[in-house]
Amino acid sequence: MKKILLLISSVFVLSFASNAETLRILAEAGDEATITEAAAQFEAANPGVTIEANFLGWDDFMATIKLKMADNNPPDLAHGNQGFTVDGTLIQSGLVISLEKYADQYGWKKSFANGALSEFMWSDDGSTWGSGSLYGISPVAEDVIVYYNKDKLKSLGLSIPTSFSEFENALKVSKDAGELPIVLGGADGWPIIHVWGLVEGAFVSPKQTRSWIFDAKNVQFDTQNRIKAAGKLADMASAGYFGSDSLGIGYDDANAMFINGEGVFNLTGTWMTADFNSGMGDNVGAFAMPTWNSGVAGGGSFALPWHISSKSSNPDLAAKFLNHLMSIEFVDDLMGVGRVPAQAPTIDPTSNLQAEVIAASNSLVGANAKTFYTDWATPGMYDTVTQELQKVIGGVASAEEFIDAMAAESIN
Amino acid sequence: MSTNNIYRPLKKIDFSSYLYILPAFIFYILFVLFPLGDTLITSFTEWNGISEKKWVGLENYSNNLSNKKIISSIKHSFILIIFYSFLPIIIGLLIAGIMIRVKIQGMATYRAILFLPQILSMIVVGISWRWIYAPKGPLNSGLDFIGLENVSRAWLGSFDFALPFVGLIGTWVMFGFTMILFIAGVQKIPSELYDAAKVDGAGAIAEFFNVTLPNLRGEIIVALIFTVTLALRNFDLIYITTGGGPGTSTMIPSMFIYKKAFQMNQVGSASSLGIMLTLLIFTLVSMILILLREKE
Repeated sequence: MKKILLLISSVFVLSFASNAETLRILAEAGDEATITEAAAQFEAANPGVTIEANFLGWDDFMATIKLKMADNNPPDLAHGNQGFTVDGTLIQSGLVISLEKYADQYGWKKSFANGALSEFMWSDDGSTWGSGSLYGISPVAEDVIVYYNKDKLKSLGLSIPTSFSEFENALKVSKDAGELPIVLGGADGWPIIHVWGLVEGAFVSPKQTRSWIFDAKNVQFDTQNRIKAAGKLADMASAGYFGSDSLGIGYDDANAMFINGEGVFNLTGTWMTADFNSGMGDNVGAFAMPTWNSGVAGGGSFALPWHISSKSSNPDLAAKFLNHLMSIEFVDDLMGVGRVPAQAPTIDPTSNLQAEVIAASNSLVGANAKTFYTDWATPGMYDTVTQELQKVIGGVASAEEFIDAMAAESIN
Repeated sequence: MSTNNIYRPLKKIDFSSYLYILPAFIFYILFVLFPLGDTLITSFTEWNGISEKKWVGLENYSNNLSNKKIISSIKHSFILIIFYSFLPIIIGLLIAGIMIRVKIQGMATYRAILFLPQILSMIVVGISWRWIYAPKGPLNSGLDFIGLENVSRAWLGSFDFALPFVGLIGTWVMFGFTMILFIAGVQKIPSELYDAAKVDGAGAIAEFFNVTLPNLRGEIIVALIFTVTLALRNFDLIYITTGGGPGTSTMIPSMFIYKKAFQMNQVGSASSLGIMLTLLIFTLVSMILILLREKE
């Protein structure tokens, strides 16, 4: 009996001495490669720490994350999603903690331009967004840019457009030559948000769009420039620049079409870079969408924010891991797993496409021209904007009807 | 022994018989009655799923009734009843009617094949049909092949055709069920009735309307209740094929319930719509039972 007690107590002592700690992470599946890589590095650098990471696909993740964080035994570290629907609700319910303390401790804010982290800033009661305390952070940038088929652009005698009217001209030349100008998976709805973000960005100042997204109730949506942008989108649709079948094609199928050589342009996010690279090699390039006055603009933001649970027994460890993700040493690893780091990498891009994507992303950062995503604005906005954009693309609603429906949802 | 049984106190017999249904009843309370009651209570509140519930009375209900998109989604459900219910019943009756007159070799095999859609998962059905209806899918390839290039289009991406074409998937799924139901029903109709009809000189059509149809009343009621309920509460098929789009052209109430509860943080409002949908289904089923009941 004595021996057994001795054994048990020594196991206890040993386990405390070795500082055994477990960090539980719940992430959206897009970050699986990133987290797997980071977890291995972190465990090696911190003996005794075990990382338990779980991943869920987008729909499942978004449908369950709030309930999982409200659970009595939530993950220590988890993704949220920008906007009132997820992040706002988590903060309002006190389920995640402010990261201000850790941001100061690790110097996260110094890595970014002033105001660049505003999409993670909230008032402490979660009622206002865009300023206040830092509640989330991400090391990854995700931007909506223009991918193009290099062979096609060349054989059409076109070069990379430097203004939106040049882009429009390229669409016309493509269409006249019998090519599909823009490949679009409109059946899924949300890919059209990305197209709209680029057309909107070409005419509306990014600052105006961002302030509308942060405070849709009080910032005017139906401005002159935005009405003009909506008119452009409707014109592009009626000119057949998206083809006649885009509402019957899903996002994955549209990208597969693009990889197989259909379509001159593909207006989508930098998360597709690795797939396009492996599918098209040197035949694919990328640029940031030019605006009417030859600037750049586009939908884009950080990737999903990381939050630390207010019920976490070891928030310091969670922050330490978060800092590993945010560290300058990890930037190159992010490139290795095909992500676009939000901070400048120290190694060369691994492909031509990655170089062009990073240049496009940097130009958006430099111009302070990221416009986030329209659907962040209100909890009902995702539905409204996808439905109304499908109507515009399908030609059953006019630009004015689109603007009216969006303005109504803004104040809803 | 038997005398012993007779004099056993009544109370004890009651208790033991209730004991038999107790396990099922516990499950029923736990998984049907309790969630239903909870949904009903939630429907009078404003609740984002994790906050405190805030009592708002009938506000969710009045908001639903004044929401044009919800009203139009209910209209879509009624259109789907034609495809999920009426068409399968007509097709099922037709097949049953033909089977009485014509004896086909290997009928069991045909029946099994026709019934197959009924046992497939809706996910499989939805993905398969999305492929069939795709811009470059088999349907359009076939139309192109026979020279109907003008007709071919992205069926599920069309504002005019998406709803009826999703409906036709429902027809394809449901007619196997109605067919089996009616074939079984026909087999219990006494053959004397058919002999009598023949003696009276009834043709195939007269025989169908005078003998087959009246004798299938019970089966038709069952088929109606089952298929109408499915048409109104259907979710998976729409979710997989169109997600309610394009625009709101295939939006149905159950999609709204899902979107409100899981996308918009409006669990109270979603619950009220769920209760309204339950009441609607209950009313329609009652009407079917009352209108088609046997007159004595």
